[in-house]
Amino acid sequence: MQYAIIILTIDNLSTVFSTIVKGLWLFMKITIFLVDMNSFFISCEGTRHPEITGKPAAVAGDPKNRTGIILTSNYEARKFGVKTAMVVHEALRLCPDLILIPPDHRFYGQKSREVMEILSDFTPVIEQNSIDEAWLDMTGCEGIFGKPAESAIKIMERLKNELGLWCSIGISENKFLAKMASDMKKPLGITELWKEDIALKLWPLPVRSMYGVGKQTAKKLQSIGIMTIGDLARINEDILSRNLGKSGMEFHRLANGVDNSPVITHSHDDVKSISRSVTLAEDITDFEKAKIVLLRLSDEISTNARRHGKKGRTVQISIKYADFESITRQTTVPETFLSQEIYTAAHELLKKIWNTDLPVRLLGVSLTGFSKADHSAEATQLSLFNLPEIHSSLETSVNTENIIKQDLLEGTIDELRQKYGASMIKRAVLMKKQE
Amino acid sequence: MQFTTTKDALVNAVNTVSKAVSGKTTLPILEGILFQVQDDEIFLMGTDMEIGIKTKLTGDIKREGKVVLSARLLSELVRKLPEDEVSFILNENNMTKITCLNSEFNIQGESGEDFPKLPEINGEKNTVIPKDLFRSMIKETVFAVAKNDNIPILTGELLEIEEGRIKLVALDGYRLALRQGKTEEGISLKEVIPERTLVELYRLLSLKNEDLKLSATVNQVLFTLGDTSMVSSLLQGDYINYKQIIPSNHTTRVKIRKDELQSSCERASLMARDGKNNLIKMNFSGNNLEIKSNSELGNLHENITMDMEGDPLKIAFNCNYFIDALKVISEDEIVLEFTTSVSPCILKPVEGDHFVYLILPVRYIEH
Repeated sequence: MQYAIIILTIDNLSTVFSTIVKGLWLFMKITIFLVDMNSFFISCEGTRHPEITGKPAAVAGDPKNRTGIILTSNYEARKFGVKTAMVVHEALRLCPDLILIPPDHRFYGQKSREVMEILSDFTPVIEQNSIDEAWLDMTGCEGIFGKPAESAIKIMERLKNELGLWCSIGISENKFLAKMASDMKKPLGITELWKEDIALKLWPLPVRSMYGVGKQTAKKLQSIGIMTIGDLARINEDILSRNLGKSGMEFHRLANGVDNSPVITHSHDDVKSISRSVTLAEDITDFEKAKIVLLRLSDEISTNARRHGKKGRTVQISIKYADFESITRQTTVPETFLSQEIYTAAHELLKKIWNTDLPVRLLGVSLTGFSKADHSAEATQLSLFNLPEIHSSLETSVNTENIIKQDLLEGTIDELRQKYGASMIKRAVLMKKQE
Repeated sequence: MQFTTTKDALVNAVNTVSKAVSGKTTLPILEGILFQVQDDEIFLMGTDMEIGIKTKLTGDIKREGKVVLSARLLSELVRKLPEDEVSFILNENNMTKITCLNSEFNIQGESGEDFPKLPEINGEKNTVIPKDLFRSMIKETVFAVAKNDNIPILTGELLEIEEGRIKLVALDGYRLALRQGKTEEGISLKEVIPERTLVELYRLLSLKNEDLKLSATVNQVLFTLGDTSMVSSLLQGDYINYKQIIPSNHTTRVKIRKDELQSSCERASLMARDGKNNLIKMNFSGNNLEIKSNSELGNLHENITMDMEGDPLKIAFNCNYFIDALKVISEDEIVLEFTTSVSPCILKPVEGDHFVYLILPVRYIEH
């Protein structure tokens, strides 16, 4: 037998080798965490409005605005029955003392980055699922941080102490079970849900509470008599695939605790486009007002693009008229991430396509066409206008100088905002009257 | 207006002048060709107000008069006529009857009185330019004209005539193309001609055999080729002082076979296409030029033998700039001159100075 192993072709050798590696992998128990920030938006607000602690409060759109719904409520407010997506006036009926705070997504984005920063101290393999939750592949980290439950406590403590934010952590051997586990105990819960526990802990739950099952899917499942996750796990696969097709099979696997999807680290290079859009507080027909909106959106895109170090060649705008008809148009520009240039292109497009007889309810701008690999730092095409002989003799060099100045200016604005917050410096046209 | 001509003559004349007719215009009459019979001559004319082309049509004249007919319709119509005599008769309300063998078209025209007059150019500066020389000068420089109009003057080429030398210069900020030759003495001229004028002129020069005459005023230029003439506006403003850009000395001089370098660059461009700058890396050392290009697609590596004097050099370029220049060079061998990896490279003939191409490198940091 030992001799047989020695007489191997190269091909076989690599197969054998990979089998050994897989074997080792099996010995190492896969450990996945899902870290879910508890009532994230309102908790973020709590860090800068300490006066709301212990009182019912919620982040909500302006009640006068059509986006006037509850985005997140704190646990005190939830006691009154205030829920996410509830219309503001209904929430106030349930809880008249509810403190309402308008959303500041830039601030939450900033906090979210700080959360991810801390999480990345525990493992490099992080998949951010949304602004307030992420999967962490903690496989093989036992030697460094101790048993899963112990490292989960360390994560929770650090988030609480350093950022003042609460989280729940689900621990399991795959992404699905980790996610289900994190929902089981909130706030400040650490829940382990291993495959051998599912019959007891997972199966009694209603299907609607399963990750990935929405209102419509739940309805369909209930119509064929599936009420709990356990029903889903035990039902004949054929019936499922007949009624729900491929996704039915996937739900069946998940209900049985099987999920082989890996934790995928999103890298900054994956950015294909950066877009921002806004549903306006009221429909507009005034071009001057639209220009201000475009300017604000261009500003945001530009900041984001600079953070990713990406320059785009395509500027696209989308408009949705009051009758919900949408149009998008794009144009090509010299590579840029400058707010001024994105705005100029967006403005030109809007001028061309907007039929101002029709009121607009939504405006969006996006920047795409990023070069595949950003070699800008390593390879730069030199220009005649940068040669000292020409530079001095050309009045057009003013143009390039302007771009360089604009670049410096916008970079500085970024730094200021990074340090003192987004409202530190604003364009005059974006200032509200009372300011 | 009434005249008879042949189909071939008509096709030629219509094709010649339609080059100046623009497809889209705010002035509908400019979508037409003016037919004018006056003083025993038939003239066709088209213009988009930037350039105008006028040509003489030979034929048998019966009656004077003028009418404007749609250029798009007419160029299709005349091509489809049978090979025979064609007669034009202008009737009331600008209806024009075109007869050829058994076909009879009646076309609605517009009044010839409304057509803009081409400016009369009696330039102070007149000269005859060698036709074939000028044709190749256009072909060998026009690719370097700036493609965007950030700097409007660069959308044209500088025509410079001085002491019996004629020069044509194009540059777009990253490269420069200069072509020169001998011409008549006694005139000195420095004008910037729009790219489109040169492209149309190049087409005319390919069709006609007559001498090329040039006549320039302050803001317009007239080219005459036998019975055909072309008027164009000139770009206003000072052209960039290109002489300042071309370096006079060098530290590395390379003599290389043009075809080998061109093929090599073309192969390199296959691998560079994907990247941002179409990067081709050149390493001149000893008597060997090492060429490399790479991208996500893969990479290319090759060597060309050459003669080198001076310091070895590593330098990178957008290979398309090299290909554009090498494509129009007809010499077997050329000379490349360099100073540093971040200063312009010069391509010139081994003997003489009839062309100079200058290409700026890509600043490249090897990891």
